[in-house]
Amino acid sequence: MSEQERRPEDDGQDFANAAWSIPSSLLAGMAIYGGGGWLLDRWLDTSAFFPIGVVLGVVLSVYLVYRKYGR
Amino acid sequence: MTALTVLADDQFGAPTPDELFNLPPIIAGVDWFTKPVLLALLSTILVIGVCWAAFASPKVVPRGVQNVVEYGYMFVRDQVARPFLGKDADRWMGLLVSVFFLVLIWNVMGVIPLAQFPVASHIAFPAVLALSIYALKVYLGVKHQGAGGYFKNMMFPPGLPKPIYLLLAPIEFLSNMIIAPFTHAVRLFANMFAGHMLIAFFSMVGFWFLFEKLTPLGAGVGVVGVIMTIILTGFEMFIQFLQAFLFAMLAAMYIGGSLHPEH
Amino acid sequence: MSVLAEVSGNVTAIGYGLAAIGPGIGVGIIFGQGVQAIARQPEAYGLIRQNMLLGFVLTEALALIGLVAPFIFANI
Repeated sequence: MSEQERRPEDDGQDFANAAWSIPSSLLAGMAIYGGGGWLLDRWLDTSAFFPIGVVLGVVLSVYLVYRKYGR
Repeated sequence: MTALTVLADDQFGAPTPDELFNLPPIIAGVDWFTKPVLLALLSTILVIGVCWAAFASPKVVPRGVQNVVEYGYMFVRDQVARPFLGKDADRWMGLLVSVFFLVLIWNVMGVIPLAQFPVASHIAFPAVLALSIYALKVYLGVKHQGAGGYFKNMMFPPGLPKPIYLLLAPIEFLSNMIIAPFTHAVRLFANMFAGHMLIAFFSMVGFWFLFEKLTPLGAGVGVVGVIMTIILTGFEMFIQFLQAFLFAMLAAMYIGGSLHPEH
Repeated sequence: MSVLAEVSGNVTAIGYGLAAIGPGIGVGIIFGQGVQAIARQPEAYGLIRQNMLLGFVLTEALALIGLVAPFIFANI
């Protein structure tokens, strides 16, 4: 959709879409990378990968949301 | 009543989730037929009956039931369907109105005297609704965008550097396919669960300190409990309406997202 | 000394409750002030929206870190 034919309703709808999908994106990033770290920990018998994975997941999903909606 | 078994003790005990939500079968021997099931069946009959009474033979100038239900219909159309579905709104009104009214009646059962149990506080009920919406979402997405196109639009948002996709695609997939329907159901469930526990706790405080063990010191606490019960019941009615609205709104949002790919 | 009150159950639930206070206030402030800003200057909608979402993301991340923190520190 080009910039000219955008109606104000579209903006509001995009905003609602973004605001509702942000928490699930963050949760998903944490779950995937934290879960991967947890599995690595179980496999290698360490305890460092889970926190690293969680932080990595948060950073990646914040980056994703920033690139997707923050413009 | 199972909720009153704590009165056997000599101390005040807050009602536990087990007492409040793990209800015995109404007819002994029929294990599945508990209070939430009965209320869910009643709500279904109520919604069908009210909508039948309102729209079976609609008048141009609405009267009585039709007036009320038309107000609800207008609310769903203007606040839920049109902002998210645009010109497809009228096609999906049947589904959205049914979902909105059903969830609203389920929730309102939590404050109706004698019923007083929000059906959605058992997670099975919102989970079934959310799963149906989820199946519809995936079906519509595959139908309107093609199987490859749907997953491509979902997992690869445009405008990112190539190597980053490798890291971000799993996040997008998990967030859209698993976390989204999960939060859709859990949001309704958790609100109703917590609200019911709050009301039960404060009414228990009032009952215990004013009727069971009336002491000069405890009477003040009991009065606070009764007042909080009244305030929270009003607040709970607002939350019940809001959650029904949000459930229908998220359903409309998922359907709209499948019909038109993000731009 | 007689026991006046005791807490039973998982203490990490209390931890998450405490961790959710700050982000709760933060999200409230972000959307409250954001709506106010849009009402004052509707023409700056795009800019306000972008910053609102950014602030919301960072605050929400804190709340979710609070959710997983009990798991991280479970075996320390």
